[in-house]
Amino acid sequence: MQPRPLPTLSLIVLHEARILVRDRTLLLVCCVLALMVGYGLFVGLAQATLRDRMVAQVLKHEQETQTANSGMLQSVLAGQTALIPFSNPANPAAMAGTLSGRYATMLNAPLAALAIGQSDMMPNYYRITYLSKVQFMYDTEIENPWNLLSGHFDLAFVIVFVLPLLVTTLGYNLLSAEREHGTLRLLCSQPLSIATLMTGKVVVRMLALLAIVIPVPLVVLLLIRPEARGAEQLVLMLLWSALVAAYTLFWFAVAALVNTVGLSSSTNALIMVALWTILVLILPVTMNLAVGLVSPAPSRTELANRTRVATAESLREYEDLYSADYRYASDPEALLVKNERIEVPSRMRAFFLAKQKVDERIEPLLKRFDQQLLQQQKLVDRLSLLSPAILINEALTSIAGTDSHRFLAFKDQTEAFHQEWRQYFSPRILESRAMTIRDLSSLPRWHWIEMPASEISWSIWWRVILMLALASVLGSLALARSSRLSIE
Amino acid sequence: MFAIIAAKDLRELTRDGRLLWAGGLVVMLMLLALGAGWNRQVQLNSERSAGQALDYDAWLHQGYRHPHDAAEQGMHVFKPEPSLAVFDPGIGPFVGSTVWLQAHRQSEVKFRPAQDATGLQRFGELSPAWLLQVLLPLLIIVIGFNSVSDERERGTLRQLLSLGAPARSLLFGKAAALASCVGILIAPVGLAFAVLIVVHLPAGERVDVVYRIAWLAAGYGLYLGFFVFLTLAVSALARSSRAALVLLLGFWVAATLIAPRTASEATNLLYPTPSRLDFDDQLARDVADAGRKAWSTHFGARTQWDPSVPLSKWGAALKVDDEAGYGALDENFGRLWDTFERQQRAQGWVGLVAPVVALRGFSMGLAGTDFSQHRDFSTAAEAQRRKIQNIVSEDLIEHADRLGNAHFTYKAGPELWASVPQFKYQLPSVSFALAHHWASLALLAVMFCLSVALAQYALSRPLMR
Repeated sequence: MQPRPLPTLSLIVLHEARILVRDRTLLLVCCVLALMVGYGLFVGLAQATLRDRMVAQVLKHEQETQTANSGMLQSVLAGQTALIPFSNPANPAAMAGTLSGRYATMLNAPLAALAIGQSDMMPNYYRITYLSKVQFMYDTEIENPWNLLSGHFDLAFVIVFVLPLLVTTLGYNLLSAEREHGTLRLLCSQPLSIATLMTGKVVVRMLALLAIVIPVPLVVLLLIRPEARGAEQLVLMLLWSALVAAYTLFWFAVAALVNTVGLSSSTNALIMVALWTILVLILPVTMNLAVGLVSPAPSRTELANRTRVATAESLREYEDLYSADYRYASDPEALLVKNERIEVPSRMRAFFLAKQKVDERIEPLLKRFDQQLLQQQKLVDRLSLLSPAILINEALTSIAGTDSHRFLAFKDQTEAFHQEWRQYFSPRILESRAMTIRDLSSLPRWHWIEMPASEISWSIWWRVILMLALASVLGSLALARSSRLSIE
Repeated sequence: MFAIIAAKDLRELTRDGRLLWAGGLVVMLMLLALGAGWNRQVQLNSERSAGQALDYDAWLHQGYRHPHDAAEQGMHVFKPEPSLAVFDPGIGPFVGSTVWLQAHRQSEVKFRPAQDATGLQRFGELSPAWLLQVLLPLLIIVIGFNSVSDERERGTLRQLLSLGAPARSLLFGKAAALASCVGILIAPVGLAFAVLIVVHLPAGERVDVVYRIAWLAAGYGLYLGFFVFLTLAVSALARSSRAALVLLLGFWVAATLIAPRTASEATNLLYPTPSRLDFDDQLARDVADAGRKAWSTHFGARTQWDPSVPLSKWGAALKVDDEAGYGALDENFGRLWDTFERQQRAQGWVGLVAPVVALRGFSMGLAGTDFSQHRDFSTAAEAQRRKIQNIVSEDLIEHADRLGNAHFTYKAGPELWASVPQFKYQLPSVSFALAHHWASLALLAVMFCLSVALAQYALSRPLMR
């Protein structure tokens, strides 16, 4: 009689589930996973809240500075306040610099709690003034370097590193245990193919793991983060689930394949751990090294040297302005606004012009840094095909919006805004035009343009398909081999 | 008896495929890491020392200029890479190496290499230290998990004991075999690397580096020894080889992979790191407060630009302002850095369950790439900045303040620039590192002794269960 695969499969699933529940291994593994997922999510949420709060604080700060500036400007124009050159809002050079209070900010993506990614290192706001880029673009978030080195215990870590190990715990002896207990022989005497047996065993285990790792974070996010409820976010969540499922399937397929070789349980466990070590630990660090070697970042020492040369040149260029007479401390009347004109102290004008010149001169070098980083990122995107761990890590961080791509985009947009900020003030400073109340409300405003969601989801779909393809190749190989497995 | 057991086990292990493949991979990775690290270091160090010399030269030859504007150009100083950074880059990728010393503000060490890298950096850095800390314990477990249990399962243990082999010889024989397997893999590469490094150093620094290498060898010896004895103990205690393997792998995953991350999360809750915004705000407030106080005591003025402080006092005012700020800077940065160090010290306790945490701190300390040595550099750089500022202010008081409103027309010349000494930074010596990390070493020694005791207990129990 031909075995009927589907009813048999459900029978095995049921049977296997019963054994696993009695055995308590499954329970233990599921508890460990639930604990880790919970903790990882907690860490991710804490970090996301921290960054949310920072942006909120920055925006409040900006608001307060604006109010203070316009109040000050009103009283200056009415002649009620003593004039101080560096904090006179009528003076465009002061507004562009110390008084600016303008920030470029990037909000957390709605799913930021799913992966911390680069967000503990890269800034999510920049203070915009006329200062040179070298002076403000390299400020980073404050974090203990030791902790950066250790990495965070976030959900992405649980999925990329720990989940495969739990799969190994559940799957290293799929068939070998049956053989060692002598029950494989018994099972083979039934109208049942080993392929069906193995599929049934994998299905139970996989469903148990996925039932924890997928719904828990998503439900929690939907409950406590209202911004995660949009249509786009739901698509991303779907993608996230598909990705996690595909990665889990990949590791089960590996376990199945290893089991079809017909070695002992201990050897299977060793092989699984070796594969995990190579794919998750060794390949990523080796590739990190390789990426640095193939596409090295330009020298930062050279940037420092160029900055010095550029600064010296601009100091020389505006020497006259720098050393002009400075009578504003003893003669504050000189700072009065007359016919919408104001005398911009020449030293302040010199600062503005000099910083602008410095940026112009080092721009080509900074461009090279950006290009090199993009180059590296492209290389990583390509190399990620070699290691499922890299593939999934990149995808998880890009769903969470904490990947390098998004931070690079933020940096680019900030640079453009910085340029706009300077261009707004440049004619005012050069033509000595005083700031008016109207001007204060028409200052350039920052708008963060989010990366197109379609672009993100396309690149993730592509990764999901790739991972599924990899898993199915390994899986079908395992199923094909299973028919030739020796039962002794 | 001891020697016979060791020789027999060693022969068995070398014939086994596990050692060959896993060991081969580790050695290959080690060579790759050393090669890449060495190459990088040579390049960085030559670049930085050239950059430093060039920078000072430019400072000396900047021509006639108002001293305050000279401080605007400032000076760049570069952190030299300690020679053992090739072995353990430590926190290197996550801290910068360049400080631009400018007027008015304490500059931070900038340009973290991790900023110029992709997200892959967060998987870790392939370094010899990483291999020894993470992969070698795994190797010891993989080749040693069945060294006692297998003898029992095959019945050879019974024969061995019937020959009158004492448990102690059995334990130390097996340990010696495992240890020499590890030794065969790392000793040649390690020795060659140590010699290479020492030979390339100027004679004055050699003794220090040799001491460092010796201490590192001791630390790693204790750490790997811990794993050797733990493996043997578990192999003797567990019911079967399979159980021993599962237990040991579980411990390895928990101790080397999960514990460091959990520890850093936990200490972050215990001693929270301020956000950049909070830190900057607090610093700005403190500096402003200190400044206001100093202004009112020295000049009876509320603000810097009060009409009662004419430009003829600008140099003096600058001096008062800067010096008032020093206290606030020291306090704020000191508090931040103390938080970092407190976090790390708290994590030291995790070393009691996960020795890798203790070893990591010890290793980067002795390699000269830990936070305390980074802090030492930052402090030295800030001292240099203050030196420049003081020289500049003194000169302004002496020459420019007499000119009144024409204050900024004053120009100083080469003699003033030459009075600022070149920045020379001496890496702290080995005793500095030991003073910071002796506790980690003691912890490793305790863990090692505990594992030996456990193994002795495990093998002295009746083995014929």
